[in-house]
Amino acid sequence: MRRYILRRVAAFVATLFFVSALVFVVVRVLPGDPALLIIGAEGSPEAAARLREALGLNRPILVQYVEWLTRALRGDLGVSLQYDVPVGRLIVSRLPVTLPLTVMAAVLMAVTALPLGLYAARRHRRAGDYLAMVVSQIGIAIPGFWAGLLLILLFSVHLGWVQSGGFAGWSSGLWPGVRSLLLPAIALGLFQTAVLVRATRSSVLDVLREDYVRTARAKGVNELSVIAKHTLRNAMIPIVTVAGLQLGQLMAGAIILESVFALPGIGRLALGAITARDLPVVQGVTLFVASTIVLINFAVDLLYVVLDPRIRYE
Amino acid sequence: MRHLAKLLLVALTLIPLAAPAAAPAQNLVLQGATEPPGLDLTATPASATATVVFYNVQEALVKVDRHGKLVPWLAERWNTSDNKNYTFFLKRGVRFHNGREMRAADVKFVFDRALNPETKHPAVKQYEVIGDIIVKDDYTITFALKSTSANFLWTMARQGSVIYPREAVETLKSEPIGTGPYKLNEWVRGDRIVLVKNGDYHVKGLPKIDRVTLRFIPDANAALAALKAGDVDASMFGLGPEHIPDLQKDSRFQVIVGETTNDVIMAMNNSKKPFSDVRVRRAITHGINKPDVVKGAMFGLGRVLGTNVDPLNPYFVDMSGAMPYDPAKAKKLLAEAGYPNGFETVLKVAPQYYYTVRTGEVLADQLQKIGVKIKIEQIEWGQWLSRVWKDADYDLTIIGHAEAWDIANYANAKYYFRYDSAEFQKLFQESEVTVDDKARRELYVKMQKKLVEDAPVVWLYIHPRLAVTKKGLQGLWKDLPAGAGVMDLSEVAWAK
Repeated sequence: MRRYILRRVAAFVATLFFVSALVFVVVRVLPGDPALLIIGAEGSPEAAARLREALGLNRPILVQYVEWLTRALRGDLGVSLQYDVPVGRLIVSRLPVTLPLTVMAAVLMAVTALPLGLYAARRHRRAGDYLAMVVSQIGIAIPGFWAGLLLILLFSVHLGWVQSGGFAGWSSGLWPGVRSLLLPAIALGLFQTAVLVRATRSSVLDVLREDYVRTARAKGVNELSVIAKHTLRNAMIPIVTVAGLQLGQLMAGAIILESVFALPGIGRLALGAITARDLPVVQGVTLFVASTIVLINFAVDLLYVVLDPRIRYE
Repeated sequence: MRHLAKLLLVALTLIPLAAPAAAPAQNLVLQGATEPPGLDLTATPASATATVVFYNVQEALVKVDRHGKLVPWLAERWNTSDNKNYTFFLKRGVRFHNGREMRAADVKFVFDRALNPETKHPAVKQYEVIGDIIVKDDYTITFALKSTSANFLWTMARQGSVIYPREAVETLKSEPIGTGPYKLNEWVRGDRIVLVKNGDYHVKGLPKIDRVTLRFIPDANAALAALKAGDVDASMFGLGPEHIPDLQKDSRFQVIVGETTNDVIMAMNNSKKPFSDVRVRRAITHGINKPDVVKGAMFGLGRVLGTNVDPLNPYFVDMSGAMPYDPAKAKKLLAEAGYPNGFETVLKVAPQYYYTVRTGEVLADQLQKIGVKIKIEQIEWGQWLSRVWKDADYDLTIIGHAEAWDIANYANAKYYFRYDSAEFQKLFQESEVTVDDKARRELYVKMQKKLVEDAPVVWLYIHPRLAVTKKGLQGLWKDLPAGAGVMDLSEVAWAK
């Protein structure tokens, strides 16, 4: 196990190194100049040229990368060109929005998709199954930003139950914070829930056809036990794999929904930074997201061992 | 014990009588579409920065008021005998937000710094006419110009000319301080900027609002929802013309539709064939039905424009009818230029500005009728700035020019229009040194006529000011003569 963990850590470092180099090059090759964007069309190209020089963007890419990497290794991700604030601090300040948002969407996804998928599988080719499939098909077909707008129209504009957007913060208590993230979490989790319902249904269906399920039923084990112990646990490996991938996709989806709901999270930070060519922020956010996804994948691998004791990492 | 309880009861009932009832705090929550790229007006000319800082947090010696007039501001008056030496007499008792009184030495510091190449002031060129700055006493300062400059007072009123204390120069980008009616309270990046009342403001009785929260909601539909749900009190720049008719019918809101300095144009690359031929440029102009463009792209909101000077400028001349829609004439001009069957061309637009795409679609349809087939290419704003604005790598493009007094762009042959007319440049240079108002007006009329004749770009319409507020909010500017992004909140108040 120790060797496995060491190998994973090495792969983690290599991934981050690769991602950082790739993003560094791609962002700089993209047409669009941070200095021009800061100066804008009201300024002059000469002013933009002077700013470019001051930002150190005239130096060769390799020199810039090595300098960035050396500082990043010391934990210094640089300073945002747009905000003039250290990138690390900027990312940390956005976590209290994106992290709970993603977690809430994931919880919503799990608590809805698992029972619904299980129900559909148990009612295979009956009305309940078809209904669940239609509902999940609609969930897949509705884009998150549109679902978000519909939710705002219903719950904020017409019913006035929750705020239409923005983040209340956690300082005024748990409920105001949760309340401002509730609609975005539903909109964000909708598509992934629909996908997970289908994954759960097909995985459970596969297992329900296995001999050991028939045997369990034949020897008179009660149905709850058959489903919980024999079926669900064996069906969990593909479900967990899909759900792990979906966690990464939830972070990507947050980019759009944070804009729709005007939430100051990592996604909106990334979008703004790309538009403004705020290179240190783009770099920092990408590294953060890449690390999170690698860690999620690692957690999924470890979960396999818990779910299936036959799996060994040596 | 009983006595004590009685006494306490009496004391408690008297408290409200003793302390005067405090007036309820006046708060204002605004929606803004774009977050500023830093708050330093001496580092960026961005409109989004001006929206927050200019007139609200920092002010200049001279101000362009809501009617477009130059009025004394931090300088209570000025004089000049030769149009080369301007002496400003500073208002006394004006305090920066750090409590220190503004003195002439601060003004000198501000302009010395703007002129220093190390500062990288984006509008340094405007200050290069300043030869010497002489502090006469704490409240008197003279600017000795190298040559006569007709625009000098306008330059002093621009957003780059705000006065700030020298001790705060390091934090201008994130925590600007100045003399304005509001102090910056907090900037939650990506979410909001909060301004609070400056109790020490140099205009007595202002401001009336205690706390202004500017929330950044980039999505227009989300902004509309926030307004309708009552989460914001006003949307200043975020809504499009399509939202206006519905909101005008809603009794909860008041809709402000006004003029701006934002002239929306279709630029043609004058250095590139076929647009290097003036007949082609005139043909394109005659091929466009501007009132229909305003109807189709802007729901009828916006004034048709015929030349560069906007209606809020004192030298505006209405030239909207000078090159009327005339497809037959357009076709004739194209044939004369050697394009009897028209030609194909590419229109680059940046969807970040919604009106560019819509206007482009209407224009493509109209110009097809004279044989000009337009392919619309949507590019991201960063690319637009690099490819179109900086490198002039384009045929046609649509954009709004929001700056006031921007006719200088046509006198710059390197500007992305690549319009190079010695005659126009001469007229412009003359207008820059002509101080007599009548003579200067004549030059401006000549310049506008020359532009119409040469048709370097097609002036389409003025992008209207579209602001929507809850009923009862008063004091907002109707027109925006000081720049399309300027939002003066000093006189804003809720009706009692």
